Amino acid sequence: MSATTTPTSTAANETADDRKMNVIGLAFGALFGGLLAGGLLHEYDTIHNTLVLEDLYVFFVMGSAVAIATPVLWYLERRGTATAVAGPLKLSRPKPERHHVTGGLLFGTGWAVAGTCPAPALVMLSSGAWLAGVAIGGIFLGLYLREVQTRDLAADGDGDGEKRSVPIVARFGR
Amino acid sequence: MFDVLPAQLPWWVVGPGLGALVVGLFVVANQPLGASGAYVQTSGLLRRRPDTAVWRVWYFAGMFLGGIIVTQILRTSGGDGRSGYDALVGTFSMPVVVVLVFAGATLLGYGAAVAGGCTSGHGLCGTSQRSPASLTMTVTFVATAIVVSLAMRAVFGGAL
Repeated sequence: MSATTTPTSTAANETADDRKMNVIGLAFGALFGGLLAGGLLHEYDTIHNTLVLEDLYVFFVMGSAVAIATPVLWYLERRGTATAVAGPLKLSRPKPERHHVTGGLLFGTGWAVAGTCPAPALVMLSSGAWLAGVAIGGIFLGLYLREVQTRDLAADGDGDGEKRSVPIVARFGR
Repeated sequence: MFDVLPAQLPWWVVGPGLGALVVGLFVVANQPLGASGAYVQTSGLLRRRPDTAVWRVWYFAGMFLGGIIVTQILRTSGGDGRSGYDALVGTFSMPVVVVLVFAGATLLGYGAAVAGGCTSGHGLCGTSQRSPASLTMTVTFVATAIVVSLAMRAVFGGAL
């Protein structure tokens, strides 16, 4: 652990900012999970019916979310908006690499077969469907296998920015 | 308990709501709303890995909590007591369904790790940042999933 760069949020040295961030995480998680449940996005049938192009509900959800978030984020970054707890708003725009395509091929195949992805699988468990436990176990296993394989998660690049280093939040795989 | 929500909210409520959440987490904390990252951090915390981003574990718990609030309290119609896998269960025997779900989930977890994100991290947050990497990943996984789903329907038929 390097103490000089990013403040970390381990259970041992939790600060007031970390606790604030935990509440933010819980609140955003609950709103996110609630919206997914509201749209029945935790149901295999909702995903599958979109992927066989019978009912494009999921694509309309994703498309409208991106259509709204994109111009707003663009404007806020250009304006130099200050975030509440993490300095100026900064977006991340990495170039495509080979692993984005191979990862997409694998992820897309799994998404089609399992009919769920990480967030909806949790909501599926909330809904009382026991097969969600099978799906969640598989997702954990898949992520772990890659971790064992690379021994350094940063090897896969910054991707969507989940692994970038910003104040308050630890970068994993360091 | 209260049953105040319809069985399925229209896409023009869910989509813009998700868009607002994506913007919201950037405005508050400069962070993408990625779910696979939350799994990685939760897995890290359970294994007592140093440098775990604990707030992402709270985010993980929050998704489950939000699901409880909607599926168990605000809505009692639809989704209630369902397998979550009606079309699969209607086509294959239960042991086959379990194997398919586990294998598919393992594959998507591995793929998300290789790509550095999933439907939320790349598909929603990355594309909203106009990230070429996320756009590439999203187009790839959506196209792949359509091809695989249509192929499964063609091969197995049934309720698929």
